[in-house]
Amino acid sequence: MKATVSNALPRLLAELCALFVLYFVGGQLVAWLGWPIPAGVMGMALLLMLFAVGALKPGTLQRGAGWLMAQMLLFFIPALMSLLDYGSLMRSEGWRILLVIALSTLVVMVVTALTVELVCRWSLRHEA
Amino acid sequence: MKLEPMSLFWLALTVAAYLFSRWLYGRTGRYLLSPLVLVPALLLAVAIPLHTAYAEYARNTHWLIGVLGPVTVAFAVPIWQQRAMLARHWPALLLGMLAGSLASISSSWGLAHLLALDESVSLSLVPRSITTPFAMPLAHDLGGVPELTAVFVMFTGVLGAVFGGLLLRVLPLRTSLARGALFGVGAHGAGVSRAHEVGGEEGSVAGLVMVLTGLLNLFAAPLLACLL
Repeated sequence: MKATVSNALPRLLAELCALFVLYFVGGQLVAWLGWPIPAGVMGMALLLMLFAVGALKPGTLQRGAGWLMAQMLLFFIPALMSLLDYGSLMRSEGWRILLVIALSTLVVMVVTALTVELVCRWSLRHEA
Repeated sequence: MKLEPMSLFWLALTVAAYLFSRWLYGRTGRYLLSPLVLVPALLLAVAIPLHTAYAEYARNTHWLIGVLGPVTVAFAVPIWQQRAMLARHWPALLLGMLAGSLASISSSWGLAHLLALDESVSLSLVPRSITTPFAMPLAHDLGGVPELTAVFVMFTGVLGAVFGGLLLRVLPLRTSLARGALFGVGAHGAGVSRAHEVGGEEGSVAGLVMVLTGLLNLFAAPLLACLL
């Protein structure tokens, strides 16, 4: 394991660079086409196309992609700090907001899981 | 450019709190010490007594949010790796994601109005069950406040990871597909890591539907903007 550490970091950085470049190219493309989608989504579509035509193997970017997704929380923490400006909102509406989130989350989970389960059971019965 | 020691302080503190919390959670496994809960709590505990405004905190930390763009690009990897599962089970997963998204949007919107919440708060609540890189642009498209949506996404993740575990005991779910979709559609990233604890297959399903649900919601944005 130790021996691979020395080239693991440059490798990770190169993969991250590739993902940032795809993001940048996606942004340029979206601006040029005038499509109302985020640059990242276009970058993702480009990367999927590169996989599909075989120009890239997912394994080539797995480390960089895995690292970015694993650290995602770090990248949205700054947005959470907007709470600093919403102190009075949270004091006046905070519990109602939490109630909405809690009830709605329960509803979403039950609806999603039961839908998938029913469709799965239905298709299993019809395959058999 | 003038050096601003206080705002660099916030960047350093954010990264330090994140690394510390990740290490602590790795050692203890206590849910209340997970970075999703502990990092904002630590940062707020320092920022509130100092009377820091969000603008001041954000000056040198806001670029971190920009990295969510490349994170979106990285989502191509799990989609591609799970394409066999998707090809096999797409009807169940698609219907689950559609039903879940409809349930999420209508219940967030309906409950917010029932409880007489602010219009901008209600709009910011609508994308709350999808992953942040998609939820923030969706909030922007709908006329909500992306930062506020990120806060609601966090609450959803914290609550969803707990609720999901409880629901698994109550609901008669025989398929790993349904167990994974429950976490991926209901509690995005926090749900996906919880689903990995339930099982490998559940984790993969959750990761895939998290990304696809985000995309689905984002592409429905023009329609939603008309309706809401």
